Amino acid sequence: MEAVQKIEQVKHLPIKFGEVARYVIVPGDPNRVPVIAESLENVINQGQNREFNAYKGTYKGIDVSVVSTGIGCPSTAIAVEELSHIGAEVFIRIGTSGSVDKSAKKGDIFIATAAVRDDGTSKQYIPIEFPAIASHNVVSSLIKASKDLNIDSKVGICQSKDSFFGETEPDRMPVAPYLDFKWKSWQEGGVGASEMEAATLFTLSQIKRIEAGAILAIETSDKETIKKMTEIVLESITYMEGERNVS
Amino acid sequence: MSANDEKTKSGLLDVDLQYHVQLKTGDVSDFVILPGDPGRVEFIAEHFDSATLVADNREYKTMTGVYKGRSVSVTSTGIGCPSTAIAVEELANVGAKTFVRLGTSGAMQEYTRVGDKVIATGAVRYEGTSVQYMPIEFPAVASHDMVSALIQSAKEAELNHHIGIVQSKDSFYGQHNPEGMPIASELLQKWDAWVKGGVLCSEMEAATLFVVGSYRKLRTGAVLLVAGDQAKQESLTKEEYKANMTESINMILESSLQIEEGS
Repeated sequence: MEAVQKIEQVKHLPIKFGEVARYVIVPGDPNRVPVIAESLENVINQGQNREFNAYKGTYKGIDVSVVSTGIGCPSTAIAVEELSHIGAEVFIRIGTSGSVDKSAKKGDIFIATAAVRDDGTSKQYIPIEFPAIASHNVVSSLIKASKDLNIDSKVGICQSKDSFFGETEPDRMPVAPYLDFKWKSWQEGGVGASEMEAATLFTLSQIKRIEAGAILAIETSDKETIKKMTEIVLESITYMEGERNVS
Repeated sequence: MSANDEKTKSGLLDVDLQYHVQLKTGDVSDFVILPGDPGRVEFIAEHFDSATLVADNREYKTMTGVYKGRSVSVTSTGIGCPSTAIAVEELANVGAKTFVRLGTSGAMQEYTRVGDKVIATGAVRYEGTSVQYMPIEFPAVASHDMVSALIQSAKEAELNHHIGIVQSKDSFYGQHNPEGMPIASELLQKWDAWVKGGVLCSEMEAATLFVVGSYRKLRTGAVLLVAGDQAKQESLTKEEYKANMTESINMILESSLQIEEGS
């Protein structure tokens, strides 16, 4: 096996071909990777390069990787490109977010069905009219897991932005009226959460024919909520793996 | 409903009898099937257990009836997003809550074959109407539960189906004869991008249905029958078309049974 295996090094990730699982959990924060990996068994720390921290382990016998993307769509695109190149097929983002239309409130867990493409990266892949949509299968599995585990969650559209402070302090930006106009539109249109990576993750997943989803904590990053989201994600992976084995 | 009431308290939409569709509260079910063609309304209603004509004005023809004990309606939207937005807004004003478009489409992938049913999860917003509602970055996305219900009924009926993104355009002939258009290079370049992005088929109404649906808090979905393949010069015969439409209609009607009435 080793003799014929491709040795393929990618430019940014600390891992290479054969070292990633089919299922990858992708948080933004490299420091959140070991926290998520605590829920896995047989954990290996595979190292860190730049903002890309990689762990691998198993959950109920299924290989699962955890690799951070760093903040924002530019580094997320690099992570997704390189991870899919070395063999990852299903990506689930665990992240934190702000609330937008108040349908989801502080402390809520939010499952994204699609993302507003308020980012620059996805536009360098495909024209803006193309929708950033999560995989139906991943979303269904996340919803089912959340129900089965009795952990409440909301389901809806999130917004992916590039400027963090453009959201938190829009008034001091030279483009304040533009930011304000857009934000009000997202509120009216029923956007539940605001974060910084999903639009590119979803867009790339369509282009690269891989699957992706995202689960977000609203206005909190406490360890308890991260643990709950991790539980939902890991359980959803067992459903997806089960279905794959049937079909 | 209060949010919706707030949004429609002005001008033409203030009265109960809706200006274009000529419908009032009580005329339609909460579950409405939306074909483009008014000529297809009667054929669709033939698959109900019972149906009556409730309005027929411009391109908007509506029939309401019952399928296996569930109330259902069918309203034609006419071709394109401008008339679709009007239909959806006015139907929502008189109580419709779930909207499933049933349309024909052109294949865009090697594996989307003539006769296949495409269940849209979302749509490319290559049209002018939805941008007069929401900035272009907003995703035109179908409702997750409606998509799940449609997938289930497609599976149960063992229909060849695909699940994914469709393209909504405004110019029919811009797709069929792009080289002849002054903006040929844009049309060809974008088409190539959609194909690379995995878009399954091309049609003309879904994007606005989904965007207006998100804004009005409605449940939306779309089933697109692949009726032609431009590249391969294939299309359904009249008989094949009818048989495939029947399969698509039954698939939507069965999915309606999974949506709680009035929800």
